[in-house]
Parts: sequence; structure tokens; C-alpha cells
Amino acid sequence: MNKRLRSAVGQVCGTILMLIVALAVGAVLVAISGNSPAEAYLTMLNGAFGSPQKISEVFVKLIPILLMAFGTSVAFRAKLWNIGASGQFIMGSVAATAVALYVQVPIALRVPLSFAAALVAGALWAGIAGLLKVKFNANEVITTLMLNYIATYFLLYLVNGPMQDPSSDLSQSALVPEEMKLTRLFGTYRLHSGIFLLLIVVVIMLFFWRTSLGYRIDLVGQGRKVATYAGLPVDRTIIITMLISGLLSGLAGWIETFGIQYRILDGIEANYGDISNIIALLGELNPVGIIASALFFAVLLVGGASMQRMTDVPYSVVDVVQGLIIIFVVAKVIFKFRRPSWFRRAGARKEAAKNAQ
Amino acid sequence: MLSDIFSLSFLVSLLASTIRLATPILVPALGQIYTQRAGVLNLSTEGTMLMGAIGGFTAVCATGNLWVGVLTGILSGILFSLIMAWLSVTVRANQVIAAIGLNILAAGLAAYIYRVVFGIRTLPAQIESFSAIHIPVLSDLPVIGPIFFSHNILVYLAFLLVPVTWFVLEKTTFGLKIKAVGEHPRAADSKGVSVSGIRYAAVLIGGAHAGLGGAFMTIAYLNTFTESVIGGRGYIAVSVVIFARFLPRRAMWGALLFGMASALQLRLQALGVAVPSQLLLMLPYLATIVALIFASKKAEMPSAYTVPYSRMER
Repeated sequence: MNKRLRSAVGQVCGTILMLIVALAVGAVLVAISGNSPAEAYLTMLNGAFGSPQKISEVFVKLIPILLMAFGTSVAFRAKLWNIGASGQFIMGSVAATAVALYVQVPIALRVPLSFAAALVAGALWAGIAGLLKVKFNANEVITTLMLNYIATYFLLYLVNGPMQDPSSDLSQSALVPEEMKLTRLFGTYRLHSGIFLLLIVVVIMLFFWRTSLGYRIDLVGQGRKVATYAGLPVDRTIIITMLISGLLSGLAGWIETFGIQYRILDGIEANYGDISNIIALLGELNPVGIIASALFFAVLLVGGASMQRMTDVPYSVVDVVQGLIIIFVVAKVIFKFRRPSWFRRAGARKEAAKNAQ
Repeated sequence: MLSDIFSLSFLVSLLASTIRLATPILVPALGQIYTQRAGVLNLSTEGTMLMGAIGGFTAVCATGNLWVGVLTGILSGILFSLIMAWLSVTVRANQVIAAIGLNILAAGLAAYIYRVVFGIRTLPAQIESFSAIHIPVLSDLPVIGPIFFSHNILVYLAFLLVPVTWFVLEKTTFGLKIKAVGEHPRAADSKGVSVSGIRYAAVLIGGAHAGLGGAFMTIAYLNTFTESVIGGRGYIAVSVVIFARFLPRRAMWGALLFGMASALQLRLQALGVAVPSQLLLMLPYLATIVALIFASKKAEMPSAYTVPYSRMER
């Protein structure tokens, strides 16, 4: 146990060190762009923690990115590289908005209906890639990415065509009915009741990898052969994994639609898809790690946006820092691979010495 | 409307744009044939192309010389793919994850470079790009002229790379080593072939091609840089390679197919057909998925595809 604790502490320290290096490179880039790094990072911190309203914004961002990172992690643990979270998010919000605007049933019925529609749409959008993987061995990285483009253009088509708000020229739909909006928790702050849904998902995810389904998904991640020998229906598990993965992004779409945007519009998915990939990897696909990294990224996003508003620092610095973080995560793999073997050798030597005596 | 589509002039302009739009897919795809044959799946081709696009564009703006732009684009591609080579060969990281990271890094870097070099502007920076070369007699031929002989020099160079790639892979020792490293790295190693050396070379060659393909977009096609200039072409190129079963000539047909999907979208939009432009814009991406469906099951991947090599492991 002590050993486990020590390795966990080492891992956390390594991660923090890595984040510091990435932020340091960011500081250099800020300096090159002719700005003061200290000012940039202070603005960023202030922008994320400076007032209760700003802290509420951090949680507003946390909701979609954490949900989507969980979704991504489910697929990644099965070694299914679903990078289509943003497409699944879009399809979720599109389906939810379509139900909210066009299905004329009482609101009490429309809410659960739109909720179900979002989950199903997100799940199916990822499920397509899962099905193509199983049936045709189509590389899921490429199919999920292509589905992202298709979803983006589908959204653009809808908000400029059939679903465009008749009262404006903007690329957006009409507002959803007032009664369907999620209630704001603290007066005018944007933080809304969707956070409770996130909390439920967090609790589920904390236990998910101990359930038999979670275990089966992990097993598929060990390789098809291993899973087949274990008597697992591999193909079915792959599709179920993708469905769950997409469902979580669809849920994020539903919450973002009724909690923040109240409509669908061009660019609703922001950059959440990429960010959720980074968060999942930075958190080493483990729920607790993912929660911590999502918090870090929520701060980075909110602080970065305010840095862009208040200073001349280009927002792309934040993107570069994100990219560096993920590269470091990938490169850290050697660190992790080498250390155990080094320990093992030392241990083996001791053992051999004992045997010789 | 229908008569417009079946008219000769529509067909001519469609085929001409097909060839032009196939170029930025063909070049990176040829490069990926080297890389993938050596056993490395470089999905960061997308990001590498973006670096080539910004590198080439910036160089042309700075020097006014298009060929300097081409070289800078290639160099940017090589430099950026060096990270991929290091991650996939030396670190032996998961190639898919490494590529996802690199694509995100490239998007940030390219936007940052553009912003630092060009500042905030209301109008995007523009350059004078490669113009079509006029070949006496051939360019003046009816139908054939506008389709095949109305392009800029890079388009011809790109198609010239098809036999070059074939020659290098099939007729040279280097090509043989690449294939050996991709099929059976241990056997290649035992024969004294440096597995990591060849893989590094293959990834960098792929990077050079991707850089050129990216530079084509900014300095020979759009004449400007936007963050979405590559628009998934890197991923499409990778799927073309799988679709083409790692053969240069088939990659050319694949690239032409995708070129046609993009061209069809542009031409139909120009005609003002009733189909909304956003739906037409989906065409190349839909085509990619359909192509993967048909190609993947039959594709024979190199045996050591995406598998890092280590002497220590069995």
C-alpha cells in the first residue's frame, strides 16, 4: 500500500512538473508576441478566480468538458480512439433542440423526450463508427473525425436553413421554450442546475471501472485476443463502448443547450472535442485523474479567454500549451515504462543475492 | 439545371478542378505510403500539412519567392514530423495518441505563428501564387487543354511523384529496406538494417510530402492562410493510403476520387444548384467513410503496422 501511495505521489509530482514546463513554454511564447508573461498569467488567474462570477464560469466550462472527457476515456480504455466527441456533442444538441422546438407535447413530457433524443443521437453518432469498426475494420480515428466534419456541416445547414431563427439573419436556431431552460443556481451567474447531472455522472464514473461492464471494456483494451480468450463478445462490447462514449458527449450537448445557449448555433461545440481528448489522456483515463485535469483545463479555458480580452496575448498560446501538455503526456510513457523494469532489476538482484547465500 | 450539369463546359471545369484538388491529397498520401510501409501510422499528417501551409505562406510573404515558400513548407513538414518520429520510434509511444496530440499542437502553433507574424488584420494576408503554365499547342487544345494542361507547376510535380514513389519503393535498396522494416523488423535488424534509422527516414519523408501538400494549399491554391485551410485533407490522405493498399498508382486514383468529391461540391455550388452548400461540403468526408468501408476489410497492412520495435522484446 505504501508503495502504491508513493508511486501515486510520484505520478502527481511528475504531472505537475510537466504542467509547469508547458506553462513555461507558454510564457516564452507570450514574451515573443511582445507581451509580459507575468501579466498574462496573472490576468489568467484573475480571470478564473477573481470573483464568484468567474468561479461560476469555471464550473460552467467544467460541465461539458468533463462529461466529454469521461466519454472519451470510456472509448480510450478499450483502445478505441474515438476522437469524435465534438460531432457527438453537436448531434446531441441538435436532436435536443429539434425536440424542444418542434415536438408539440406538454413541456413536462418534452424535457425527458429531448433528453432522451440527445443521448440517443450522441450515442448513435459514435455507434456508427463502432459499427464500421466491427463490420468493416474501418479505422475509428478517421471515421469519427470524418463524422465530426459531417456533423459540423449538418449543424451549419440546419441553422442556415430549416432550423434558422426566422427573426434573425444569424446562423442560429430559435430559442427553446423558457420553461425548458435549466435554472440558474446563483442569481445572475450562469452556473445552472446541469451541474447536478454532472455530479451524478461523476459518481457513476467513480464506480464504473469496477462494474462488470467496465471490466469487460478494459479487457477489450488489453487486446482482441485476450478478450476473446476470456470468452467476451468482443464486437458487441466494442459497439456498446462506443455507444456509451457518444452518449456522454450527447448528454454534454443537451446540458450546454438548455443550460447556456438555449439554442443551437454555429460553433456551439467550441473546442471541446480536442480538449476532452487531452483531459482524458492527462488524467491517464482514470476518473479521479480526469476530474483533476478537467478542473485544470476549465481554469485554463476561462482564464485564457479573459487573458485574450484583457491583454494583446493571442489565445493560440493557450492552444499551444494544451498541445505541449499532451505531447509531454505521450512522452512520459518512457518514464513509466522504464522505471518499473529498473526497480525490478534491483529487486531481482537482491533476490539472487539472497538465494546465493 | 440538369442540362447545365451534363454540359461539356461543366464537365471540363469539373475535371480540371478534380486534378487541382487531388494534388493536396495525392502528395501527402504518397508520403504516407513510405511512412506506413515502414510500419508507422502517422495520423498527424493533418497537423504536419498545417505546419507546411503556414511555413510556406510565411516564407512567401517574407521573401516574395514562391520556391522559397515551397522549400520552407517542405522543411516545416520535416521538422514537425521529427517530433512524430521521435515519439513513435524512440519513445515507442502509441502512435494514435501521439498524432492526436501533435494535431492539437500544430493547430495552436500555426494560429500563433500567423498571429505573431501578421498581427490582427481585418483582411487576410494575400500573396501572388503560382500561376498556370501555358504549354504551347497542348494548352490550346479544346477540352484536353483546359483539363490537363491548365495547371500550375506544382500540380505536374505532384503527379510526377507517383512514378518516383513507385520507383523508390520497388526498385531501390532503400525501398526494400522500408518494406522489410514494416513487414519484419526483427529480420531486417538481423540483416544489419537499422530499424529506427529507416523508420525515422520514412516518417521524415512523409513529413516532407505533407509539408509540400500543405504549402500547396496556401501558395498554389488559396493564396492565403486560414486556420481551417487543411480541413481534414491530412486524414483523407491517410485513408487514401489504406484505400490504395499502399500502392502509389492506386493512391493517385484515390486522390483523384477525393479531388472529384471536392470539385463536384465547388462546381455544383458555382452552378447554384438547389442543394444547400453545407450539404455539398460533406461530400469528401462522406466519400472517405464510404472508401474506408470498401477498402479496410481487404487491406493487407504491413505486418508490423503501428507496432514499435525493440530489440529487447520478443
